[in-house]
This record gives sequence, C-alpha cells and structure tokens, in this order.
Amino acid sequence: MPTDPGVSLKVRTALGQYLKRDPATILTAHHLRDDLGLDSMAVIELLYRIEETFDLQIPDEDLVELSNVGQVVGYVEKRLGETTSRAQIKKTAKASQSKSKQKP
Amino acid sequence: MRSRVVVTGLGVVSPIGIGVSGFWKAALSGQSGISAITSFDPFPMDGYRSKIAGQVRDFAVERFLDSAHGERVDRYAQFALVAAKEALADSGLQMAKENPHRIGVIVGAGMGGMVMGEREITQLYQQRKPHRVHPNFIPVITLNSASGIIAMAYGAKGPNLTISTACSSSAHALGQALHCIRAGRADIVITVGADASITPLVFAGFCSLRALSSKFNDQPEKASRPFDRLRDGFVMGEGAGTLILESAAHAKKRKARVYAEIAGYAATSEAYHMVIPREDGVEVANTMRLALADAGVTPAQVDYINAHATSTTIGDAVEAKAIRQLFKSHADKITISATKSLIGHTLGAAGAIGGIASVLALHTGQIHPTANYDDPDPACALAGLSRSVQERRVKVALLNAFGFGSNNAAVVLKQATA
Repeated sequence: MPTDPGVSLKVRTALGQYLKRDPATILTAHHLRDDLGLDSMAVIELLYRIEETFDLQIPDEDLVELSNVGQVVGYVEKRLGETTSRAQIKKTAKASQSKSKQKP
Repeated sequence: MRSRVVVTGLGVVSPIGIGVSGFWKAALSGQSGISAITSFDPFPMDGYRSKIAGQVRDFAVERFLDSAHGERVDRYAQFALVAAKEALADSGLQMAKENPHRIGVIVGAGMGGMVMGEREITQLYQQRKPHRVHPNFIPVITLNSASGIIAMAYGAKGPNLTISTACSSSAHALGQALHCIRAGRADIVITVGADASITPLVFAGFCSLRALSSKFNDQPEKASRPFDRLRDGFVMGEGAGTLILESAAHAKKRKARVYAEIAGYAATSEAYHMVIPREDGVEVANTMRLALADAGVTPAQVDYINAHATSTTIGDAVEAKAIRQLFKSHADKITISATKSLIGHTLGAAGAIGGIASVLALHTGQIHPTANYDDPDPACALAGLSRSVQERRVKVALLNAFGFGSNNAAVVLKQATA
C-alpha cells in the first residue's frame, strides 16, 4: 500500500522536532529505540505529539505494533482512514435520520 | 567523634542575580529584586490584591546547561539544576574521581512543578480531554523531580531525598544533609532549595490567605520590609540555592576551599496552627536553643542571625520576641539581616538562599542590608538590624526558617577552622 506523503512527512516532522534533527534524515525504516534512541518514555511522548497532530487517540493495546517509523506512519494512515469512513457513515446516518424526521 | 560537616561550594538563582558573585554584590548594595508581575500575561492581574513579586527575569535554562536535563523538568527544578551546576564547579569536586555512591542529593521544595501543573489542570478542566494530559505531567509535578534530575545530571548515587515543609524546606534540607554526613552515609551532599510558583493559581492562593503585601503595588521595591512598622505581608519570590556539604575529612583530603562549617540543626513542630505561629515565641526560641545545643555553642556566642523575617505582621514580631527570649541582653549585640527584604520569600528556596547569605557573612565578614527597615516597629525592634551593609567578624551564625504546618527549623553555622 503506497504511503500518504502528507502523513509520513508530518510524522517525521514531529519526530524531528522531538529529536531536534532534520526530518529528512529520519527514514521510515528507522527503529524508534534502536536507531533513533527513544526510550519507552520518549516513545510515549512522541505518540502524544502524534495524537495531537492527527487528532487521534491511540489505545494502549496498539502500542506494541509501533516499533519503527514506517509502522507509525502506516498506523496513522489506517486510523485516519477509519476516521474518514466512520465520519462518512455518521454523515450518511445523520442524513437518513433527518430524512426520516421529515416524513411525518 | 561525629564527623564535622563543611560547606565547599555555593550556587544561586535569585531575583537579584543568577550566580553567587552577582547575587552577593547586589545583596550588599541593598538592591531589590521585587517588581510588577509580568509572567501571567495575557492572564489579567486586575483581580489580584498583590501584583508584585521577586521574579527571576530572562531565565532560559539552555543558556546555563549544556545537557538536555533542564528540558525535562519544571522551572523550579531548572533553577535547582543551574544552582547545583554552579555550586559543584565552585567546590572544585571532580565527579569522575569520586565514589558516586558517597554523593547524596537533598532538595527542599515547597510547591514543586506548578508551572506545568497549573497549565495541565487548566487545560483538562477547560477542554475535558483526559487523553491530552501531557505524559510528563506526573514526573514533572512529583516533588522529587529536582533531586532526581540533579542525581542524573551528575551521577550522584547516594541518598536522594526531597524535604517539603513549605517555607522551611531547605533549612531542613541543610539539617538532613548534616545528619546524613554525620551518620557516615555520604561524604558529600548536594543540598538544594528551590521553588518557582509565581503562577496564577498559587499566587491567587497566597492572595486569598491574605499573606501577601498589597499596599506597595506601585512601589514594588518598598513592599518587602521585615521588622518595619509599615510591613503588611510577604512578597512572593522564586529561585534556588545550592550548598555543597561535605565531611571535613573529605574536604581536607582533597584540599578543598572551605567556606564555613554547618555545626548544628534543630527541627520542631509547634503543633499549633496550619499558618499562624504561636504568638508567645516559645517554640521558635526552643528551636534556636536546640540547634545551638546541637552545635555545642552558647547563645552568647552567636554573632549573626539570618532571620526568617518574611515581612508579615505577626511572623516578624514572634521571631523578634523569640530572639529576645533566648538571647536576653545579648540579643542587641547580634547582627541581624533579612534576606527576604531583597528578594521576597522564595518559599522552599528561602532556607538555602538564607544559608548562602549566612555562609558569605561568615566567610567575608560582611552582612547584607535589610532593605526598607526605615521605621523600626517597637514590637520587633532589634539593635542589630540595619538598612546598610554591616561589617564584623562572624564566628557563629544562626539561620532561621519557619513553615506552614506549624514547622520550625534552625541551623547553626560556624566560621571555618583549619
């Protein structure tokens, strides 16, 4: 699946700000701990920024799958996709609801 | 024989200077660090009865520290790190040559990480988004964040403690460091007092307690006036002080420059009231008496008192009464000064900064002025107070500190002997 360059850039920018380094030097293959030197607390702080950037809530059980930059990017894309489709479902539901309200 | 404990390094962050030489120069010239509060901006000051404080201006931690430790902690702990860095450099200690398990850190802090604390609480209540509370909130507001980060910055693996007894916190830190070295549990204790809570909520709290001066909002430098007839409450301050305490044997072995000896300490509770001292002064006098006994000196040997003297109506009068009770006719032969007249009340840092002023009085023979002691209040007139710098050989000094919660501390310092 091709990655959304917007999401990837935002994730790498957040990482770059946190690590005080050029986002261009951060690769999707980089492991958060082994390559970028983030300890477990630093990963939590990074994800806090990611949540803010993308207006997401990342549940604890999802943390285990987020070990490298590419996984974070992929995860955010997946979640944004879900949010978009949920929003569409909601929108459709609302529309049909208001239609049903119009009936009587 | 119990080991003697000496002071071998000093560091300070204060409203009248960051760094001991600047602080001491300003203190001797009676310079005031009190000014209108600007840090609440854009939060309006209109609703506050008091509008002034002793603020550390233009403080940016990265200007003082090379490491990233300062970024992980609140303002008070940043002050603590900067004061510790100066004191360690001043002491000449080479950490790489020391046994890290013999170096302790004891910090006195009254309020802790309130800058971040208030911000996160406000955001949570306004936005109602629990998941947006910062992950560093807990480690930052936990009161031992300063003692922890100092240990990490310097690899100090000995006893690591935080004392929180409001305004007497760092006088107790000095006393507990003394005990720690006397008991043989450490050779060196990095002893710190720090607070930085001139924040909208904490400041409002002190206003509501009617503890702060409110009559001098348009003349900030006149507001902190311990023992003066016109005093009307304390002025809040912020800052940090660090004293490197070391066993005399260890200091001698490494040929360290010794500023003074920490010779005695007493800790008591008045078991009386959360914020009001006993007006008869008996407990304060008793605390001073116990500290002098611990140091093995008589009241008549005391040359200088660094008074707690916050500039509140009751507090100053009680302290003066207690000094008269204990020292009797000798009370008027003791030189006295109130560091808070210059920098305001730095809460948890007050004992350490007062301790530094005491050490420098012992070391230099100069006693800083008590600013605004213009019209001595007969209820607390003591002959040894002066608006001017005083010079005398100080062999024995006494440091007082009293805190909310009915808490008293006194520390005795002596001139360094070879």
